[in-house]
Amino acid sequence: MIKEYIKPELMACCGAREIKNGDVVIVGTGFPTMSANIAKHTHAPEAMLMQESGVIDADPKRPALSVGDPCLNPGAAMIGGLVEIMGMTLQAGRVDVGFLSGSQVDKYGNINTTVIGDYHSPKSRLPGSGGANPIGSLAKRTLIIALHDKRRLAERVDFITTPGYIDGPGTREKCGLPPNTGPAVIITNKAVLGFDPETKEAYLQTYHPDCSIEEIKANTPWDLKVSRQVCPTAPPTAEELRVIREVLDPFRMIAIYEKRGYI
Amino acid sequence: MNKIMNMKDAISKHVKSGDFLFIGGYIARTPMAAIHEIIRQGLKELTITRSNAADDFDLMIGAGVVKRFISTFLSLGLYGLGRCYRRSLEKGIPHKIEVEEYTNLSLPMMLMAGSMGMPFVAVKDMLGSDLLKVRSFMGENKYKMIASPFDGSPTLLVPALNPDVAIIHVQQADEEGNAQIWGIGGDCKVGANASKKVIITCERIVSREVIGKDPSRTIVPGFKVAAVVEEPFGAHPGYTPGFYDVDFSFGYLYQQASNTVEGFQAFLQEWVLGIEDRTAYLDHYVKRFGYAAFKKLNAKFDYSYPVSYAY
Repeated sequence: MIKEYIKPELMACCGAREIKNGDVVIVGTGFPTMSANIAKHTHAPEAMLMQESGVIDADPKRPALSVGDPCLNPGAAMIGGLVEIMGMTLQAGRVDVGFLSGSQVDKYGNINTTVIGDYHSPKSRLPGSGGANPIGSLAKRTLIIALHDKRRLAERVDFITTPGYIDGPGTREKCGLPPNTGPAVIITNKAVLGFDPETKEAYLQTYHPDCSIEEIKANTPWDLKVSRQVCPTAPPTAEELRVIREVLDPFRMIAIYEKRGYI
Repeated sequence: MNKIMNMKDAISKHVKSGDFLFIGGYIARTPMAAIHEIIRQGLKELTITRSNAADDFDLMIGAGVVKRFISTFLSLGLYGLGRCYRRSLEKGIPHKIEVEEYTNLSLPMMLMAGSMGMPFVAVKDMLGSDLLKVRSFMGENKYKMIASPFDGSPTLLVPALNPDVAIIHVQQADEEGNAQIWGIGGDCKVGANASKKVIITCERIVSREVIGKDPSRTIVPGFKVAAVVEEPFGAHPGYTPGFYDVDFSFGYLYQQASNTVEGFQAFLQEWVLGIEDRTAYLDHYVKRFGYAAFKKLNAKFDYSYPVSYAY
């Protein structure tokens, strides 16, 4: 049987649906770019995309393979550097949506991209924060992409590179982070998790059509609460798929995410 | 003043072991030719910094020239984690470097503060994260939390940075060092202007008159520059807008080689230690991969409209 869509396409659409028309969005490469562009080509034509490296409103003629990719240069509305984007835009409070992924994500949406194991004698040393910490600290809504298993999701991350809700309700504010910021959803290859406004804990909002609630709970390392309105994730619409396959990614580069476990 | 010199002289004259270096680039305009020369000259115990470090920093760490790294991030991008960086921190090969960690907001702000002669700067990131729980060689001076003297709110201060030397690669510069770029900037402008000395490497030397036709593109004025080196293809395997694209195949070659210590050493020998200079590097590239592969990296032309500064 031919699958109507692959899991990375569904996940990219889940991200796209979180973007509202007119949002200012900081994107990385891969899913974030795909999601933001799906939104721009469907329900959010006025969304404004930017890369932390310094580019605003790029018009790339090939999928960008990094936030520094040369294809982001010709056609952009403005090119500066990190100070212009991370300082004058993000720290200035002008970014609505940030996209992050993590090697480890916990139930409060804290993200670890620094180290697995002990910081001083690491089992596995990861790249570090880059732009992730400021984006997760200062964007109004952070969308997190993660693989759904007991290794990638955690009760508590080994190292908080990027703060989610830290220790739960009120912690962000107490630490001095701006009000009305923080993670909005965790989009995994099995589900979309929302954050409970009271407890700030991630809960099951929708499950992807080929996954069951039991399977998702069994692959989540904390006692995952299930929304009373839980329902299957809406599959990609014909229009979303058309945009992905005909406009954004004719060479199907998104399929590499299947090899990375997004199935 | 004419500051044009070759890479050997620029590095031996202006960089010494133990220096604190800002090395510009963001995949865009990585001064890779200068990095190779630093490794060849056997400099030691360098402190290096820039936001979003990549293969160039990994190479320096693997080659053993680095003692300290003021970092935000290091990876090989598309090709995953930096192998030499991991080996250094996980296994102490060739030795364990000391890492002081910031972010792509705080580090550029620290360089910006340094470029303006400010002692420190307030930033709004890192709060509530474990980045504030780990301190390395900067110790208590990694950051300070204070109550804002204006409204009492908790405020994070980070120190200004003033590296001894900045090395940046640009599209064009004149003989005095007026340096012009176009395209993604990263933290190049603040990093160069924060440093006590600047080495400019460039794709082409142009006349002062050419600089003056479009002076808004200049990111470092010549009077701050110590040396100018003309080094075409100097950012390879990174790219320079308008000159050449990223060499993805070479990125893969480096990843494969650096997977093992032996592979890394062979790479270092083949592409850095056993190579005289950038001209020999290009010769070797063409011998190894063919002229067509080299030619394919060259950028197409799509000129912007000329602008007029007349009044």
